[in-house]
Amino acid sequence: MSTESNERPITIRLDPLDKVVHVRAGAPLQDALFALGVEFPCGGRGTCKGCRIKVLKGDLPPTDHDVQKFTEADIAAGWRLACQAHVKEDLVLHVSQWDSPILSDNTAFAFDPQDGLGVAVDLGTTTLVAQLLDLTTGQVLAVRTALNPQARHGGDIMSRVEFGVSAEGQAKLKDLIRREIGRMIRELVTASHVAPAALHRCVIVGNTVMHHLFCGHSVEPLSHYPFETNHLGLQVLTAKDVGWDEFTLRIEFLPCFGGFVGSDIVAGVLATRIHESEQIEVLVDLGTNGEMIMGNRHGLFCAATAAGPAFEGARIYMGMRAATGAISRVHVRDGRLVCDVIGEGTPRGICGSGLVDAVAGALDLGLVLPNGRLLDGAKKMHLLDPVVLSQTDIRQLQLAKGAISAGVQLLAQRCGTTTDGVARLHLAGAFGNYINVSSARRIGLLPMAEEKIVASGNAALHGAKLALFSRDTERLCAPILKLTEHMTLSSDPKFQDVYVDEMSFPASGV
Amino acid sequence: MSNITELYDAILTGNHKKAVEITDTALKGGQDPKELVDKYMIPAMDEVGRRFEANEYFVPELLIAARAMKGALNLVRPLLLAQKVAPAGRVVIGTVKGDLHDIGKNLVAAMLEGGGFEIIDLGVDVSAEKFVAAIKEKGANVVCLSALLTTTMPGMKDIIKAIETAGARKQVKVMVGGAPVTKQYADQIGADGFSDNASGAVTEARRLLGVG
Ligand code: B12
Ligand code: FES
Repeated sequence: MSTESNERPITIRLDPLDKVVHVRAGAPLQDALFALGVEFPCGGRGTCKGCRIKVLKGDLPPTDHDVQKFTEADIAAGWRLACQAHVKEDLVLHVSQWDSPILSDNTAFAFDPQDGLGVAVDLGTTTLVAQLLDLTTGQVLAVRTALNPQARHGGDIMSRVEFGVSAEGQAKLKDLIRREIGRMIRELVTASHVAPAALHRCVIVGNTVMHHLFCGHSVEPLSHYPFETNHLGLQVLTAKDVGWDEFTLRIEFLPCFGGFVGSDIVAGVLATRIHESEQIEVLVDLGTNGEMIMGNRHGLFCAATAAGPAFEGARIYMGMRAATGAISRVHVRDGRLVCDVIGEGTPRGICGSGLVDAVAGALDLGLVLPNGRLLDGAKKMHLLDPVVLSQTDIRQLQLAKGAISAGVQLLAQRCGTTTDGVARLHLAGAFGNYINVSSARRIGLLPMAEEKIVASGNAALHGAKLALFSRDTERLCAPILKLTEHMTLSSDPKFQDVYVDEMSFPASGV
Repeated sequence: MSNITELYDAILTGNHKKAVEITDTALKGGQDPKELVDKYMIPAMDEVGRRFEANEYFVPELLIAARAMKGALNLVRPLLLAQKVAPAGRVVIGTVKGDLHDIGKNLVAAMLEGGGFEIIDLGVDVSAEKFVAAIKEKGANVVCLSALLTTTMPGMKDIIKAIETAGARKQVKVMVGGAPVTKQYADQIGADGFSDNASGAVTEARRLLGVG
């Protein structure tokens, strides 16, 4: 991973994984670690200690949260909360949660020790994360991240599908992704000085398009209505099949629910166990496709709400990803909006979490009206020079948040309840980790009491890791698939009404 | 007792009940239906469109205004038919094959209807053959194609070709739209009109037919 800066980057080494990340001075450590699959169980609020790290080399001054959460002796020994830390100098760190696999709720899961080593891969449309695990001890031995090399043939999923519809396009995308993941696995093996033959299994999760492209199935059916394919099931391949000749491992791509609800969501269910819950729970991925699944051990419903990329800062006038220079937090202080900038330098734009915060704060101050209009018909609102929020940006946010909350409501209806009857909302995906939950509630994005909302980190990768410890992945996923009904919102006549209602903002905060 | 001039405001603010009431009273009082449409309803929808385009109104406001307009129009339409008042144009509209997104298309249809056009809405997932058949059968002079997916947008080109092949291209003006569609793309596939919003669609249709 590299930063876009031209200032001298800070080097962070993660021991014993031989993994190095470079970040900008002052950058939150959470950003760098999240990309490696580190989980932030309480959403980085400094309350759970799930993200604790030990500073082995370098100086990381303790924060107020550290003082509250750790004993003096712990602090002296170098323990810190990763979610609170901003890095100022080169560091060598030890990530505690990689010592043994833990569940998002911080309880150790009883895993069934297996022979050899395994790799868990989260194959995203944009980013790839791979972790090498010792299946006997459950330890993470090494991690690698990369950008999905297919992205040059279309950033969003439908452009990728369009490119992949032709036979040559399909073959090209397949080769690119197989080669890149093979390269990552080779690096993992080299970094941890293990024999390639010790690698027994590889579990991959990803959305249905990624699943089809990796496994070599045509994406043509995913390019148009009814978006149905015959290859949703668990795909088992050998290393030979995909051209990773020096390995003998068995590759399993977990099954998908439907055309736009993939195995990353199946893995999310494995990680959050909503399929074993007595109460109704929901898992929401606040990404471009807005996938969600709701229910309990008696039945589950899933859907893709297609929110669009606003939460990732795309299609927003000064929008950007959560990187240095992005306004990532906005608070109301003394009747004014106060902005925090990642890296604390000159602001360059605003990322999704900043957007949600800014609109929430502006609603409280009456600068944005519940119908989404800026006060006095203004065309834009100044945040922190030169960053502004335009009226059109607010409209984009209304389209995206309306789709998510309409989806949650319609799923609740299908479960025979209302959003009040849902006991827990798990937020998956990168954005779910950064977002300020009370702001999300203020704009009506998450129609749920605050204490019910939990960030579940990289639930997809977590689920893939759990699957590595299962003797029979088919049997592990079968009950989830059997319980779940895929809802196509496009054929739901209620969708438009609920969606349009949900485009407005709640009149007052609760 | 409401004043007939309040019809304009009732539509603008999306007050369905009031819009219907005023229209009903006015018609019973012998008001000329065509004048009601031309003097109050179309100007009100034009203002709704202006506000939408200026980003003052958004999808919810546009929809409730259109609903109020529709309520009033339902009372007027039979009378207009009886008087043989010609619509501003006859529009066949639909979302192209493979695509089910219809909120944008519905807004375009509502605004065109509010602008005095007759609408034949073919719904979603509409094939080229269906478009061609409807154009011929209904004697349409405008056809509106909507697509929201990168993958279904190319279908618009095939539909224009099919209209050509069927010998109906001279009869209709083709308008295209939907989030991924651009002016350049519209030109490239030989469409006559394009707009990135529902209000602009009305202006564009009027321009193409040389009305209003
Ligand atoms: C609502 C929505 C849905 C709803 C659709 C409900 C419905 N009945 O329409 C649901 C949830 C069902 C849905 C499903 C899907 N969606 Co969808 N959806 C959206 C969303 C959130 C908003 C679209 C919308 O209604 N906008 C509001 C209207 C008013 O705007 P509009 O359609 O652009 O129309 C305006 C103009 O374009 C113009 N216009 C429109 N038509 C025409 C025609 C003419 C002639 C003219 C002149 C003008 C014109 O006027 C309109 C009014 O001003 C967008 C993302 C976003 N934030 O925009 C994704 C989005 C369009 N969907 C997307 C996708 C991929 C899908 C799915 C294929 C997969 C998925 N992720 O679930 C499915 C399958 C749908 C299907 N079967 O066809 C993608 C498309 C990406 C791409 N590059 O192609 C988007 C951009 C989201 C994303 N992932 O980035 N979706
Ligand atoms: S304390 Fe850092 S994530 Fe909970």
